[in-house]
Amino acid sequence: MDRGQIETLISRVALNDRAAFTGLYDATSAKLFGVCLRVLNDRAAAEDAMQDSFVKVWKHASRYQANGLSPMTWLITIARNTAIDRLRATRKGHVDIDTPGLELAASGAGPEQMAVASGEARRLVGCLDELSEDRGVAVRGAYLDGQSYQELADAFSVPLNTMRTWLRRGLMSLRECMSRE
Amino acid sequence: MTDDVAPQGDDLLAAELALGLLEGDELSQANARALRDPAFAVLLVAWQERLVAMTDEIAPVTPPKHVKKRLLSTLFVTAPVPVLQRLWIWKGLSFAALALAAFLGVQQLGPETPPAAGPLYATQLMGDGVPLQVLAVLDARQGDVALSRVAGREAEGRSFELWAIVPDTPPISLGIMQEGATMRVALPENLRSRGAEITLAITDEPAGGSPNGVPTGDVLAASALVAI
Repeated sequence: MDRGQIETLISRVALNDRAAFTGLYDATSAKLFGVCLRVLNDRAAAEDAMQDSFVKVWKHASRYQANGLSPMTWLITIARNTAIDRLRATRKGHVDIDTPGLELAASGAGPEQMAVASGEARRLVGCLDELSEDRGVAVRGAYLDGQSYQELADAFSVPLNTMRTWLRRGLMSLRECMSRE
Repeated sequence: MTDDVAPQGDDLLAAELALGLLEGDELSQANARALRDPAFAVLLVAWQERLVAMTDEIAPVTPPKHVKKRLLSTLFVTAPVPVLQRLWIWKGLSFAALALAAFLGVQQLGPETPPAAGPLYATQLMGDGVPLQVLAVLDARQGDVALSRVAGREAEGRSFELWAIVPDTPPISLGIMQEGATMRVALPENLRSRGAEITLAITDEPAGGSPNGVPTGDVLAASALVAI
């Protein structure tokens, strides 16, 4: 199913179209379940997280068009954030990341800006590999395992502020690498 | 690059927000900013778009069937037909119905959808030989009529006046149609339960409305409300 078809389904879901919702589930649930499983590494928890993600999709589909994300990015970001919130809930002192993708007001991002971003996105994996190995691992750890600065600092046995500086530099190199032609 | 510190700082903040690295006040401030600062929201969206590439290598896994079943029964168990859907089914009036539903403050989403609203009556007022199209919905529970003007403009120095007509009674003015796409007018108490009997009409009147409380100008459109 291509981008346009998924967008159409989401826009129909925004109108409470249940058939479209079922269609969207059939088309995208395997990817979202894969993402939830990768984050949570537990089938029952991943099932719950995916279900919660689709409940959010049903409730917030009307906000999708305003936020400028490509449809799969929107769906995957919801699933990833939901899974990470669930993962963190099992940890001490957890903080919800509050699914920022959902709450966005109109970003005003035009299709051109987003085409640039998704062009860059294709370079992300190569650029992650270009980072020093530790930094690449830290970015992945934050995104896919929901690790906080403190957890990353502990994992790499460095002080918290060092971890912050370190990862921020990593993010800037990443940005620079991705925007390179 | 060095004189570009602020944008870089924002870009970093957006990256940290997208990664889920912010906590406490920083997190709530950044979330609030994403809502009110479009430039910042663009940065955030761009990072979400970039970072999602990390999931490219994650293989899809077909979820078990019972998950879908549970999801659908969670969402659709109460199954009152929402107002929006009633409008939708009624005439497939996409845009106008949406604008009107939004204006009605319809709770359109989610499992918490309240039980179906009270009786709803609607009609579409089409100009007779003039380009006028108005969608009207009477919400008996609210006691008012919501109007969405799809097409039509008053002539210079004239007003559109809306009337409710019930059998054996002179037309009752519901007021002047305001400029703008949507408006809501209160329905006189004694008409609220009589939705099925009401015909709505729009007449062309002097600016500010009929001087004597009865229609004086041409009837531009008239149509009976029907239950939806």
